[in-house]
Amino acid sequence: MSTISTQLRNFKEPTKDQLIHVFFSIPEMPPVPLKDTEKQGTGDIEKMEINAILSLGAQEVEDSYAGKLHLLPPYLAFSSLDRKSVRFTLPLSTVRRVERLNARAGVYALSLSTWHGMKIIVQLTSLRPTADLFCSLLREALKAELQRGQMKAVKGFVKTCYSEGLVSSSGVSDNEREDGSLITETKDGCPPPETEFHGGLGLQFKFPGDPKKLREASKIKLWTTYLKNHGRNLTLLRYPQCTRLVQVGLPNRLRGEMWETLSGSIYLRYSNPGVYDQLLLDIKGTNSTSFEDIEKDLHRSLPEYAGYQADEGISALRRVLQAYSHRNPEVGYCQAMNILAAAILIYMSEEQTFWLLEVLCDRLLPGYYSPTMHGTLLDQRVFESLVTRCLPMISDHFQAVDVQLSVASLPWFLSLYINSMPMVFAFRIADCFFCMGPKVLFQVGKAILKINGEKLLQIQDDGGFLNLMREYFASLGDSAHPASADPRARAITRFQELLLVSFREFAVISDETILSERRKYRNEIVNSIESFSKRSAVRNLKTLGRFTKEQAGFVYDALYKAMCEVPPPPDVAPPPSLLASNDGNQERAETRIGIPTFQVFLSEILTWARNEKIVINGFQQRIDREVAEHELIDRLFYFWDTSCKGSLSFQDLVSGLDGVMFNDLMENIEWFFNLHDKNKDGYLTKDEVLTLSESFLFIFRHEIGDAYLGAVSKFMTNAFEYGDSLLPQHTGSETGVTGPQGIGHNQPYLNLATFRMVVLVDEVLESFFETDLSASFRLEPVPDLELPPASSGFLGDLWSNIATQDNRKMFNRLSDELGKTIGKHQVIYRPTIGRFTKLEEPTARESLISPPAKTTSGSSPDTAVVSSPSSTLGASSINDNDPSSASVFSPMPHLKAVNAAFMERTPFAIDDAGDDDDDSDLDMVHGEDDDQVMDEVDAFLEAHDSGLTEADKAVAKDLLHAEPVK
Amino acid sequence: MADAASGSVDRSVQVKLVLLGEAAVGKSSVVLRFVSNEFQANKEPTIGAAFLTQKCRLEDRVLRYEIWDTAGQERFHSLAPMYYRNAQAAVVVYDVTKATSLEKAKSWVKELQRQANPNIVIALAGNKVDLVQTSAISSGSTPSSESEDEADDATATPGESPSASGGEPASLRQVPREEAQAYATEAGLLFFETSAKTGEGVVEIFTEIAKKIPIEHILASTRGGAGRSGGAGGRAGGAREEVNLEEQQSKKDACNC
Repeated sequence: MSTISTQLRNFKEPTKDQLIHVFFSIPEMPPVPLKDTEKQGTGDIEKMEINAILSLGAQEVEDSYAGKLHLLPPYLAFSSLDRKSVRFTLPLSTVRRVERLNARAGVYALSLSTWHGMKIIVQLTSLRPTADLFCSLLREALKAELQRGQMKAVKGFVKTCYSEGLVSSSGVSDNEREDGSLITETKDGCPPPETEFHGGLGLQFKFPGDPKKLREASKIKLWTTYLKNHGRNLTLLRYPQCTRLVQVGLPNRLRGEMWETLSGSIYLRYSNPGVYDQLLLDIKGTNSTSFEDIEKDLHRSLPEYAGYQADEGISALRRVLQAYSHRNPEVGYCQAMNILAAAILIYMSEEQTFWLLEVLCDRLLPGYYSPTMHGTLLDQRVFESLVTRCLPMISDHFQAVDVQLSVASLPWFLSLYINSMPMVFAFRIADCFFCMGPKVLFQVGKAILKINGEKLLQIQDDGGFLNLMREYFASLGDSAHPASADPRARAITRFQELLLVSFREFAVISDETILSERRKYRNEIVNSIESFSKRSAVRNLKTLGRFTKEQAGFVYDALYKAMCEVPPPPDVAPPPSLLASNDGNQERAETRIGIPTFQVFLSEILTWARNEKIVINGFQQRIDREVAEHELIDRLFYFWDTSCKGSLSFQDLVSGLDGVMFNDLMENIEWFFNLHDKNKDGYLTKDEVLTLSESFLFIFRHEIGDAYLGAVSKFMTNAFEYGDSLLPQHTGSETGVTGPQGIGHNQPYLNLATFRMVVLVDEVLESFFETDLSASFRLEPVPDLELPPASSGFLGDLWSNIATQDNRKMFNRLSDELGKTIGKHQVIYRPTIGRFTKLEEPTARESLISPPAKTTSGSSPDTAVVSSPSSTLGASSINDNDPSSASVFSPMPHLKAVNAAFMERTPFAIDDAGDDDDDSDLDMVHGEDDDQVMDEVDAFLEAHDSGLTEADKAVAKDLLHAEPVK
Repeated sequence: MADAASGSVDRSVQVKLVLLGEAAVGKSSVVLRFVSNEFQANKEPTIGAAFLTQKCRLEDRVLRYEIWDTAGQERFHSLAPMYYRNAQAAVVVYDVTKATSLEKAKSWVKELQRQANPNIVIALAGNKVDLVQTSAISSGSTPSSESEDEADDATATPGESPSASGGEPASLRQVPREEAQAYATEAGLLFFETSAKTGEGVVEIFTEIAKKIPIEHILASTRGGAGRSGGAGGRAGGAREEVNLEEQQSKKDACNC
């Protein structure tokens, strides 16, 4: 009934390296099969970063910017010091020429020419040897790209981009651009190479919105100029103007390509040619639960758009979603993805959409669509906390009337506002989102709340909140200041006002803010998801047996812990989406574990399924716990696998435990008998009697003294004696001599009644079955692993400073070594039953170093492994498996403090509004010309700092005209 | 609070109701039938939850249902508590042509009984009975147009050909009425078989819930000035129909306060 995922526990914070890759949208090395030599070719080349000043050659259209140049083969990337003004990510294969420039002394500069004919000049400002190293690495990386044949791929690839046609077709009319004859020019302009470039459904079914109102022609013209001068698609350089152009809204025809370029999904498409088509071939004829879910939603995705009333649209949507769910079965398909995919397909080809979906699910909206939706929950929590800080009045009011923010905001984030706002507006938010990253969702969300602040303070419940939001979104196209006398102010729409507030007032929310807030709340969210799934797993059990809910919860905890350590192999627990359900979805996906996980599970709750060594080395005493392996454990596994699937579910475990933990003497004997009666015919064979004896020996392997060993050997003697004596009656009237010998090893031999008799003659075994067997299963947390430090000396102090599991292991090893050298190291196996040493031993650990143990330890000065005699018989192989609890993530306390301090410096309160009108005056200054498009954003763009002094700028300017070194 | 007073003056009692159930069993359609008495194929799937309101008249009282229609896909499950907290009523929907959907419904009921408001009134609704009835029986109060039929079958029960509903009605049913009835009785639920398409049984659910809800109790707690008081004040719900639960006829809701 339930699936259990330990995925959330395995989360690792991204490394600095990964964060850089994410920042520059550089895909991880292509997962497509590469030839081994090629892999090495790219993998071997070192990464490097260096301080640099970037200037754009030829036209002096842009300032020079100081920043960092990163060599991340096969990419070259740059970002200005403020990380937002200027940046680029160039595939090395688009770099056609690199020259060292002949400049004044002390200046080390390179000129890079790209595929699109741009000349980029980078002045390496680090020390000379560093710059030399960088150059040589760059040379190697370029060579590797050349060898991979990537250089040739560029030509074919750029043809698939709309911008190529756009720039070349308007190239002729370069001189006429200022005279305003442009509108007609682009209107009739389906650029010539229409068949080659990728485009979306919009080309056929029209794009949403009125092109005139959206001022498409002006936007196209501005973009054409920009793309001409700053590169395009693979080679786009992002200067402040680019962000500004994005903020006024991308033109429909260019939108798909710009989304692809700005989000970086273009690099995925570039480095994975043919992968999408191959996926389509792979999924042909297959089926999965995801496919069924997708099918249900195909006709429910933007149904009002013409393209989705036609078969083309529906089929494209089906293919993209199926291909994605097939490629990423862990995510599969989540409702809301259909809405995103449908929206994107209006502007993008299927292949482009597919790769953008990958970027969305992987990087931009991490964990949003996973089966636990932990990313969604986490970001809702982050949003809530940001609102509490920046808009305290709203937050307080919501708390007072018990309204939950996420009833409204969750769908905003989950579907990028697409099913909340009219599409034309949602797409403009998407423009900014792909350009500026996930922080946009938070900024817009907060701006929505702030703008509606006064009304929000009137609402009384969730319903009121939702209705208010619905009305607001419906009015986004209206004037923000309908009563204003100034016509220019009246012309400002509520949507413009929203963007203004988002980017101007909440600019302080940065990617770093989001990242650190996510870090802060991640644990909370993970814990709540886990306790939720625990509750529902327990609730969904078909039967609890005789357990209480708490006990079943503990079984769950043990299972969960075991799964963290030894994840069930995929063939035992296939991801839900891979379960082909031919029988009409009758079978629900369910988590099932194999033997390796089962062993760990049992070691958590069953004393004899683990080996506990008490290690004493003169500095500390501790208990090392190991998972025991024995045929008996495997036997239990198959015994509980009642449906013969070769795996166990949570229910199987609960039922299995129920079958042994509540038994009385007679039931336990019968249980143990059945456990060893493989063919369930009511008889044990001679072989099975031997196996059963071995099981006894395994269980008693760590017991101290001879009592158990004696009992087992007595049992064997008795069993065969009774067995033989009973045999003649079964074999017939022949006199006894030949009868017993005629029984083979695998013939029915001993029945339950006889077995019971044999057990009951021995007091040790009787007490084992009476209480000890059931009691050896313990549904309570295993006591802590470490004993308090033996002495509080230097090492004792050191001990208290040790936090992590790894450190602890190292410390243990260190002290063991120390102990060995001074001859104080000893290891004692802790008994699992312990009846015949001292009862209730777990609390009294000291007593375990019982006299026999102590004497033996003296005999070997080096390392003494002391254990009960039977331990040699039990196949207790010692492995390095440490079944202790997975280390718990804990954010560094000082980091937290820094974050808190940082956040408190942002005093945005709902009541500091009131300056909106000034902004609006700034907005509308010019008449109806192209530049006017830009006014909308000028007001809320922050100043861009090139990070250079005048002198630096002069040098950079000089370089534009410098000659290459001969 | 000021709103609490006005809430008791107009004698409308707010009832928070949540719809739960497996994906594509027709939760949204049941609500749409109840709120606007229409049936619509190809509704966008519910993301998170949708919120609708409907006023009903029962005897001399006016009930204002605040309906939270939740997303059905399994992975949205963990969001459900956000919507069912404080709910006074729940409708758990399953699809009579899909046995697994009843299992899911049972697990929802279990969850509600353990996690939700202890006094919650739960109704179990087996939807899509129109698919298992012979065409001779017409029990629907408002038969839908032919054009809608096709679309409904295509989206609601993938994998089953639309023609099957007319030809072999008996084979489509996977959940016998008696079985569900027996379960409902045992678990103390109201039980109905419904069809959002024909309208059969839909209004009855809300009528019976209205009768069973401890209205006095709600009123008392509202007057008590608890945080969640009648907030009908600030809301402009637009012109909505009001359902008169006893006569099953609709009339314009004049008072919108």
